[in-house]
Amino acid sequence: MIAVLALLAGVVLGIYLDPTVPAALQPYLPIAVVAALDAVFGGVRAKLDRIFDDKQFVVSFISNVLVAGLIVYLGDQLGVGGQLSTGVVVVLGVRIFGNVAAIRRHLFRA
Amino acid sequence: MSAPDSGGRNARGYAPDFLTELFRNPLDPGYADAAARRRRSPDRPRWRIAGGRAVSIVVISVVGFLFAVAYRETIAEEPSRDQARAGLIAQIKQRESETDQMTVRADRLREEVGRQRDAALSGSQAARLRNLEAGTGLGRVRGDGVVVRLADAQPKDSDAVSGDSDAGPPRVIYTDLQKVANDLWASGAEAVAINGQRLTATSTIRSAGAAILVDFRPVTSPYEVTAIGPGSMRDKFDESRAAYLMRRVAKDTGLSFQVRDAEDVTLPAAPEPRLRYAEPSVSPSPSPSGSAGRTSSPGPSGPGTSPRPSGGVR
Repeated sequence: MIAVLALLAGVVLGIYLDPTVPAALQPYLPIAVVAALDAVFGGVRAKLDRIFDDKQFVVSFISNVLVAGLIVYLGDQLGVGGQLSTGVVVVLGVRIFGNVAAIRRHLFRA
Repeated sequence: MSAPDSGGRNARGYAPDFLTELFRNPLDPGYADAAARRRRSPDRPRWRIAGGRAVSIVVISVVGFLFAVAYRETIAEEPSRDQARAGLIAQIKQRESETDQMTVRADRLREEVGRQRDAALSGSQAARLRNLEAGTGLGRVRGDGVVVRLADAQPKDSDAVSGDSDAGPPRVIYTDLQKVANDLWASGAEAVAINGQRLTATSTIRSAGAAILVDFRPVTSPYEVTAIGPGSMRDKFDESRAAYLMRRVAKDTGLSFQVRDAEDVTLPAAPEPRLRYAEPSVSPSPSPSGSAGRTSSPGPSGPGTSPRPSGGVR
């Protein structure tokens, strides 16, 4: 419950502050969003599995975003940025799907 | 989740089939590790639990913040893309109108040149030059002829599912215009223009993407191919291959194709051709010896001077 409130607070803050993202960081925004989604769904699933751990969640979020950004940056420098971001999205997407499936099993027993 | 025992987890590493493993077990193994650690030593200091909770909440709000920022960013990018597109379109329009203005100016200047030349030349020479210009497309001409009208089929409602407009209505393609123009010439036309673009000996009709370019100027549907020629041209063209083909195509696909007579049409002059490689090889003063002197005679200006004829044609 607190987590949902915190999420909403973050959204409201983002809309209210309306920060401008520097142009250099803009390509990483979508990847960061996907990485964050992965961390969030992983956390929700862990919560439902009753093995949620704050430290694990925080570390997984930060490392997800950083590693995803790093891979895309590396790909940009190598000239394969598009392909590498596709790879990142695929891997994270698979994880998100798996986690959502587990959450669904928890919630609906189906 | 049929989790393997946490003892096996400690020997972590890539399973032989990494992707299968990823699909089967997408959760970070770290959560299981942390749970196992907690089970082993259940009494953690309270401040650590509270601190961890606080940091989690901060991170979650950061995630929400990230979502909001990314959303706003995506929304904000859309109009900028539209703006760039609109800017480009405006630039194209502006350049086109500049070109039109300059073409009008060139036409005026050419008329001025023609008047001056008429004044300078004797009557028969001027008349001959005007005839040549009209025949080659460099002069305006008027007369009776036919107008062939081709138009793309009416667009149907665009595909609502895929939003695909590429595979849209049947369109007139550049070879249609080429065939029609060629068969008009073959039917005896003496001057042909497509949408007001006069065709000359060096004119091109080609496609660039979805657009049709006549002499590197885009023309759009409906296309009107106007030709001035003898009275028999209409019948001859009606029986030509191009007309037959286009009628069939029109019947099958819904393009529109019409041929009609036109009286007293005026076709504009084509822009001056820029010959870069070919040079006039006739001598400025036609020698009475005919073809023998045509190619080799350097003309009265003598050898060693510029090959450009310095006499009659200026």
